[in-house]
Amino acid sequence: MALLFSLLIPCLATPIAYASGKKSSKAAASVVALVSVIDLLLLYTTVPAMQANGRYVESYYWMPMLGSTFTLFVDGISLSMAVVTLTLIFSAAVFSMNYMAKKKTLSGYYAMLSLLMVGLVGVFITSNLLFFYFCWELMLIPTYFIIGGWGYKEPYRAAFKFFIFTHAGAVFVLLGIGAVYMLTGTLDMFQAKSLLANAAPDILGWVLAAFTVGFAVKMAIVPAHMWLPDAHSEAPAPMSAILSGVIIEAGAYAILRVSLGTVFTSLPATEIGSPFLHVLTIFGVVSAFYGAFTALAEKDIKRIVAYSSISHMGYVLFGLSLFPFSEGITGAVYHLVTHGVSKGLLFLTAGSIMMQTKVRNIDEMGGLAGKMPFTATSSAIAAFSIAGAPPFACFISEFLIFIGGVQAGGTDSFYFLPTALMLVATVFSLAYVLRFFWKVFLERSKIKKVKEAPISMIVSMGILAFLVLLLGVWPQNFIDLISSVSF
Amino acid sequence: MLPYSPWLVWIVPSLASLFVPIFAKIGHKVRDYFVVLVGLFTFIIAASVVPDIYFKTIEVPMDATAPWIPGLGIQAGVLLDPLSVLFANLIAFLGLIVLIYSLGYMSKNEGLTRYYFFMLLFIGSMIGLVMADNFLQMFIFWEMVGLCSYALVSFYYQRAEAVKAGMKVFLMTRVGDICLLAAIAILYANLGTFSFLESFAQVEEMGKLALSFLSFASFLTLIGAVAKSAQLPLHTWLYSAMEAPTSVSCLLHGATMVKGGIYLIARTHIMFNTVPMWLTSVAWIGAITALIGATLALHTSDIKGVPAYSTISQIGFMMAGLGAASSPLASGWFAGIFHMLSHAFFQGLGFLAIGSIVHQLGTRDMRQMGGLRRAMPISFVLCIVVILARSGIPPFSSFFSKGLIVNSILSEGNLALAFLIYGAAAVTFAYSLRFLILTFIRPESDYVSSIHVHEAPRIMWLSSSVLAVLCVVLGVFEPFLAGFMRVNVEVGLSELTSFSSLIFLLVLFVGGFPTYLAYLRKPLMLDKIRKSKMASIDKVLERGYYFDIVYDKVLVNGFVKLSSGVYRYVETLALERLPYFVARGARRLARGTHMYADAFLDRICYVIAGGAVRLAKGTHEYADALLDRLCYVAAGGAVRSARGTHKHAEALLDNLLYLIAGRAVRHGSRIRKVHTGSLPHFVLAAVLGFLFLCILLLLTVFR
Repeated sequence: MALLFSLLIPCLATPIAYASGKKSSKAAASVVALVSVIDLLLLYTTVPAMQANGRYVESYYWMPMLGSTFTLFVDGISLSMAVVTLTLIFSAAVFSMNYMAKKKTLSGYYAMLSLLMVGLVGVFITSNLLFFYFCWELMLIPTYFIIGGWGYKEPYRAAFKFFIFTHAGAVFVLLGIGAVYMLTGTLDMFQAKSLLANAAPDILGWVLAAFTVGFAVKMAIVPAHMWLPDAHSEAPAPMSAILSGVIIEAGAYAILRVSLGTVFTSLPATEIGSPFLHVLTIFGVVSAFYGAFTALAEKDIKRIVAYSSISHMGYVLFGLSLFPFSEGITGAVYHLVTHGVSKGLLFLTAGSIMMQTKVRNIDEMGGLAGKMPFTATSSAIAAFSIAGAPPFACFISEFLIFIGGVQAGGTDSFYFLPTALMLVATVFSLAYVLRFFWKVFLERSKIKKVKEAPISMIVSMGILAFLVLLLGVWPQNFIDLISSVSF
Repeated sequence: MLPYSPWLVWIVPSLASLFVPIFAKIGHKVRDYFVVLVGLFTFIIAASVVPDIYFKTIEVPMDATAPWIPGLGIQAGVLLDPLSVLFANLIAFLGLIVLIYSLGYMSKNEGLTRYYFFMLLFIGSMIGLVMADNFLQMFIFWEMVGLCSYALVSFYYQRAEAVKAGMKVFLMTRVGDICLLAAIAILYANLGTFSFLESFAQVEEMGKLALSFLSFASFLTLIGAVAKSAQLPLHTWLYSAMEAPTSVSCLLHGATMVKGGIYLIARTHIMFNTVPMWLTSVAWIGAITALIGATLALHTSDIKGVPAYSTISQIGFMMAGLGAASSPLASGWFAGIFHMLSHAFFQGLGFLAIGSIVHQLGTRDMRQMGGLRRAMPISFVLCIVVILARSGIPPFSSFFSKGLIVNSILSEGNLALAFLIYGAAAVTFAYSLRFLILTFIRPESDYVSSIHVHEAPRIMWLSSSVLAVLCVVLGVFEPFLAGFMRVNVEVGLSELTSFSSLIFLLVLFVGGFPTYLAYLRKPLMLDKIRKSKMASIDKVLERGYYFDIVYDKVLVNGFVKLSSGVYRYVETLALERLPYFVARGARRLARGTHMYADAFLDRICYVIAGGAVRLAKGTHEYADALLDRLCYVAAGGAVRSARGTHKHAEALLDNLLYLIAGRAVRHGSRIRKVHTGSLPHFVLAAVLGFLFLCILLLLTVFR
């Protein structure tokens, strides 16, 4: 029952958050934070059973007409993603206490945040494709309203763009789900996996393509990334952290779980399989470089971070294209974890800077290290993690991806060049991170009278900064979880 | 050996760095003494291992591991062997000296918590680098020292030059780092292990690793080492790193961090020395760097530029030595390490002494200096020790180490390399002498007499004096070092009188005499040279052989332009607008479709409606007429038939009546004729007749 409750509780908390938000917005924020902690504990109770069997499953009777049961499960990868989600939502809720304090109608904001939790956790813990799609859309709607309702300049334009793009992607996903149901008569991804092997490979190729295109839009792979810079920069900072930390990563998770894990494994390796993976590799490399270059040229503080997300989704896609080499996949999934936490932190620090300076252009900033020492330290930890510098989290995952790349090159020499290019991309990552840090924090201060961020923001940044360091020094728990899953 | 010392020696300073901000809250004095105590403790731990290695009470190499990422079989570990212990001791010792020196040198600065945090973290990471027993752990610390270097070079973060220098340092070394990372990935993918010892053992078994992979890995490793140790062509970052406080330059960019490359080459020497061209490349890179670095040091006017370029050049000597050795037991390998050690002492001392000068004068420009020997006698003595030790005047240690390097190159039979090294040695003496003349010996300059200069604080010259003593005596301890490193290389006093020493001293004279002439006796000579045909050489040196210009103008600017181009043309002009284009197109299409469809539909409606109406009207007319006619016909028919029926029925009934009546009359007359007079017949006839009448009546009535 733990998994069912982990979805029901945030569901029930939505009206509670709304009602308590009418009295005080801090109460609503506390409700959301508390619910995320309860969810974390609920998920934690499934760990022993999951480790014993490799997967912990709960089935409920649902929609007998479609012959489908409503199946929730956790394995190492789902759990890791859900933990990152809940951690980020917790931090976002705590961060919002001060950050959103001056905005209006916050009861709706926290209710949406709570509803978002259902969609996000649901995507990661269900194996029923129809329910997966339901949650997939459920994470879209609260995001749309949060960006639109509490964003910056032209929020509804950005939110509309986000909605149209990801919804267009979702249509492909729905197409794929329909095809899977037609081919196998089941909607459970694990049952479908064994049944799909009987289907004709050329049909499966189209199914694979539909799924992957749909998920890649969510993942913001170039050239389907256009929604991301707008949505990330117009959203309020806590929402940007969740967008960049979890929502785009849900796309990567879905590619691994559905495209690769369910459909791809049924394909004959040589005819469609390796060309498909090579295409993923190329898109990954292009995204990594494209994001890095645009981040190097951008001047808006949040758009820099947003472009860096595109670049990092390129790393993840490259890692996923090493399927089924365990180091590469482990690295890619661990990169989802580490990048989620690091990028979440970076967005929170960017929000804190924007709130205290009222400026977005990095050319107008400078010298903030002395005035906002805590924000500067957190930002440095996040930024250098993004640049792949040890001992911070992203180093371990990037390193594993590179190891996987070279290993894959041993059997398929195609991978040598992309791996080398990805290594070169880290130099550009470092370049934009150094430029970001220099323009924002170093040299002479251009803005007078800047104060350090208020306490709730410091607390939430501190938690994430600690996690970035911890995941870099002590990666074994997550890596054990992730590498326990086999495809 | 103290228990767990191979672990504690890097964990203690790394962890202690986290406490620096906490102690800083208590008080600045507490923080400073805490840092020095940690440095001392680290040095004690490191030194406690030395007797075990020297007296061979522990088996080397000793490898201790602990699980780190068990899911992937990755372990953390420490490797105890003479090389790692030597480096660890050197780092811990110099770290301690520099921390003590900083108490004086940095005392007037802001942000010291940050300074001490990164210094301790650096010491911990650097010792971690040399103690690591596997490539991965070494690489992590390799990157962490790079991070510390960035943070410390940008220590004065409000100065634009310092910030830009920090970025340059980090980015340039990152170029080498990705090569090293690729090498590690190749080795791991093929050998399945990160561990040094296992890798070495597997490579020794021929056939475990294809030569192509091994060569790739070896040359990528070499690029990593070249970038970290500031060798050609990736050397320019080291001069930029001089924006750091001098104490940082001393520890990171003079004595320890830049030796990372030497450590890496020395460590992997055993694995890569069979790769064709690898050793030759190492030696040539070293020798060329030695000469070019020395010429750059000869030209710089920046007082910190002298030890910076000198470091580049001296590391070139070490590389040349390592490259000349065919195995880690050969004399060239030991010579490289030995020179590394002596360089650490004399260059460390050089930086500290120069730090004192900069501290007092507030400028780094040597052209404004002169005649400092009277005001700063102790620094003068220290600087003399530095130049004697650096140039290799016997009996200073680098006389022996440079001699060993030259000898091992000659024993490999490579004369061209030996010439380069001799040339570098000559220029070394020249630039050292030039530095001494410009700052201390020539008459006092206007700038120096305009300010009040006195000797550096006691804590600064005392801590540097320790290094001076070591510079003097290190040469004598060479046999001890050889025993410690377990190599069989004897350098005796007989070396002093050998033929090669004679050549070496001659070479130094060749380098030194013109400098003496040019800078002290005939200062005008230099101006003449600058105006003559030699001016182009001066220009080349001025611009540092155009390396930085190429890097800045071509690479950095190129990539900045590329990224802004991508941003402007691809992102902003094309992709950013693409959805709007699509949307606008769709909208236009929709509007057009709408319009046409509307019109079309309308027309269709009209057509249909009109048709329907017309049809209806036509239908109506015809139908009306038809129906009317039908009605008339029907009605007329009905009337006519009714009339006809009526007429016929009347006639029929009349006829019937007449018929019946006639019959009845005829019957009656007949019956009367037959049955007249009988009553019953009358009655019957009357009844029948009555019935008839009734029927007739009825018929008549219903007519």
